[in-house]
Amino acid sequence: MRSNRVGWLLLAPTIAILGIFGIVPFLYVLYVAFHQWNPFGANPYMIYNGANNFRRLVFDNEFLTSIAFTLKFAFFAVLSEVILGYFLAQLFMKEFPGRGLFRTIHTLPLIVAPIVVGSVWRLMMTPSIGIVPYLLKSWFGYDLNIGRDATMAFALTVIMDIWHWTPLVTLTLLAALVSLPKEPFEQAQIDGANRWQIFWHVTLPMIRPAILATVFIRLMDALRTVDEVWMLTGGGPGAATRYLGLHIWKIVFPKTDYGYGSATSVIVLYLTLVMCWLLYVALVARRDQKRAS
Amino acid sequence: MKHEIRMGLAALAVGLLTSVMPAKADFWSDAGAKYKGVTLHGVTESTPPSNYIKDVLAPAFEKATGIKVEIETTSWDQMYDKAIKDMEAKTGIYDMVYIEQDIIYAYLARDFLVDITKSLKDDPSLKAPDYDETHFTTFANYFKNADGDLFGIPMEAFIKLYLYRTDLFNDPAIKEAFKKETGKDLVPAKTHEEYTQIAEFFTKWGKDHNLELWGTTAQAHTGHPASWYEFFESVAPTFGVYNWGIDASKNYSASVANGGTMNSDKAKAALKYWLHLRDIAPPESPASTWTEVATTFAAGRAAQGLVYGENAAWIAADAEKSKVVGNVGVALPPLEPGVMEDAEAGKGYIGYYDGGAFGLPITSKNKEASLLFLQYIGQDSVQGDWAVAAPRITNTATYDDPKVIEMDKKLNGYYTMLKNDGKLFAGAPPYPFHAQVREATAPIFYKILLGEVSSDDGLDQMAAAAEAELTNLGYRK
Repeated sequence: MRSNRVGWLLLAPTIAILGIFGIVPFLYVLYVAFHQWNPFGANPYMIYNGANNFRRLVFDNEFLTSIAFTLKFAFFAVLSEVILGYFLAQLFMKEFPGRGLFRTIHTLPLIVAPIVVGSVWRLMMTPSIGIVPYLLKSWFGYDLNIGRDATMAFALTVIMDIWHWTPLVTLTLLAALVSLPKEPFEQAQIDGANRWQIFWHVTLPMIRPAILATVFIRLMDALRTVDEVWMLTGGGPGAATRYLGLHIWKIVFPKTDYGYGSATSVIVLYLTLVMCWLLYVALVARRDQKRAS
Repeated sequence: MKHEIRMGLAALAVGLLTSVMPAKADFWSDAGAKYKGVTLHGVTESTPPSNYIKDVLAPAFEKATGIKVEIETTSWDQMYDKAIKDMEAKTGIYDMVYIEQDIIYAYLARDFLVDITKSLKDDPSLKAPDYDETHFTTFANYFKNADGDLFGIPMEAFIKLYLYRTDLFNDPAIKEAFKKETGKDLVPAKTHEEYTQIAEFFTKWGKDHNLELWGTTAQAHTGHPASWYEFFESVAPTFGVYNWGIDASKNYSASVANGGTMNSDKAKAALKYWLHLRDIAPPESPASTWTEVATTFAAGRAAQGLVYGENAAWIAADAEKSKVVGNVGVALPPLEPGVMEDAEAGKGYIGYYDGGAFGLPITSKNKEASLLFLQYIGQDSVQGDWAVAAPRITNTATYDDPKVIEMDKKLNGYYTMLKNDGKLFAGAPPYPFHAQVREATAPIFYKILLGEVSSDDGLDQMAAAAEAELTNLGYRK
């Protein structure tokens, strides 16, 4: 009984912080989502409008387009980061000259603020002043213009995200790989398993929790990305890189449509939860069920 | 000898008197004494005039009053984001906010700002002797309410003007080639047809001579509202489409069918004209906002262009930043027939009179100290150096400042143009829903820029979207 009370006491600050900065704002957003509220409208006050904001979302082409682009972005970025991160983690498991230096350099993007990453990439990519368009033109005769080429703008946001966040995946997977016991690998080798079989039947199952945690973190981040993309493309050209985070930002801040923006935020949160749940079911729950049966 | 003794005694007396009498403090140190230790926080867009406030006027004010001023200069979007959030949530972080001319109506509608005129009347002890509202140019009228009370101290005012390269326009070989090709003399354009002809000529000239030179600038970003603004504030008016094509007197109509002009034939002609210019502008144009347009011109990559006046001084005179120092000419924008007559009659305008003021949020926790600072930056005495550092004029007397007259020569008469022809330009229309209509229509505008929708259809869609948004906001019944 006493230890229970001490436990709650120790948890109290965390619960209070979570309540103040997480639960209360969320409940407020949920409340606002059921209102029409634009402070620059003819009536600047909140007017209850039921589920109208949510109904409006279903027919909002810009929102639906934004979902499609965001999912595409998240898929390519997260998948590439996990694959690349795994290979880099495996590389760092090996001894080679300059490993420490290379690992430090490889980690550097992580400490750069997203807004700075976006600014630097913009400087590098802007036609006529950026080094990348200049080199592409000089070497391959290719005109890179992120103001005109929607596909290239999309690809660059993915590449920028990969550059920025792959080190996080590498570090997480490296920690997982380092902590693995040697015995299962030795046994597999004795049993004559090849490298692919060792990877598929030994390594992957053992680091699955680390991969899952990394994928969840990166997926949630990718679904709400704003700063980097805002700096690099501003959401353009057109709506090609107007991902959900940026879309919501534009509704809430420049357009000051607080009610509709809140409804959009709630739906995006719901979508994120559903996606994570689906991923969890696909990768963990089904496997556990199989084992149990 | 007696005379010398008398002089010596007099000097001694004066010396003794000055050493024993307390120094007569000036208004600023007296007024600031009450607020010593206070730190004022302001947020503004990072522009040359704002940077001057941050770097020069704020430290000078602190020296004079003991009141510390911290000015946050940030991007245009962030500036609004921070200021509106602060005033909306009533957090009182900022004591001064930058009010661009086009947002003042929205701020006034929400009672975000302190009435400066009334506040100084109510507490005369705060009124600085060298500050006088009547000293401002007529641009200050944009920041007044219906009663004539001022809600923002004008801190920048400039026109978006037509800049051209005098070295290119006066080059005998180029002049001869232009004459041969077009049959005309190479002089700054007065019509859109002439402007297009010059732009096409220089783009071809650059290509033929393997130069990094194009015929015109274009503020045509495909994902930033800068392109929307260039069209509706600087190009459409020169075709006779005013107030963004929205007619407040006709139930806030935008479409021709309902009495607006956003999708009128004139607007469609204007957009086609501008899209053609965009196509022959430097390749960075689809990624260019107002900042990049200025740097493009300063880098010598364009022969002519519409450039915000706030950048004119450094482009024309700062050799560290600009490659075209001494080679910049200024002119009025090219126009369609009838537009100048409209402007002179007060029925229209020929371009954008941009600018902003520093306002005092009603939520500020240091209103009195802020009022002192606002008056400080509004005095005639600080305007001359400020105008030289950043080409903006908000006080009538500044035009006669010797430093400004000297600078005017370097800028080929920009200040003279501002003084004489400023009345032909206009700020944004007095609507409290700027950002809302812009954000509702901009996505379609970007589609037009990308060729995903034709310019004619796009403008029809934009007019419909504007009306839908105005209905949603409750302005259109």
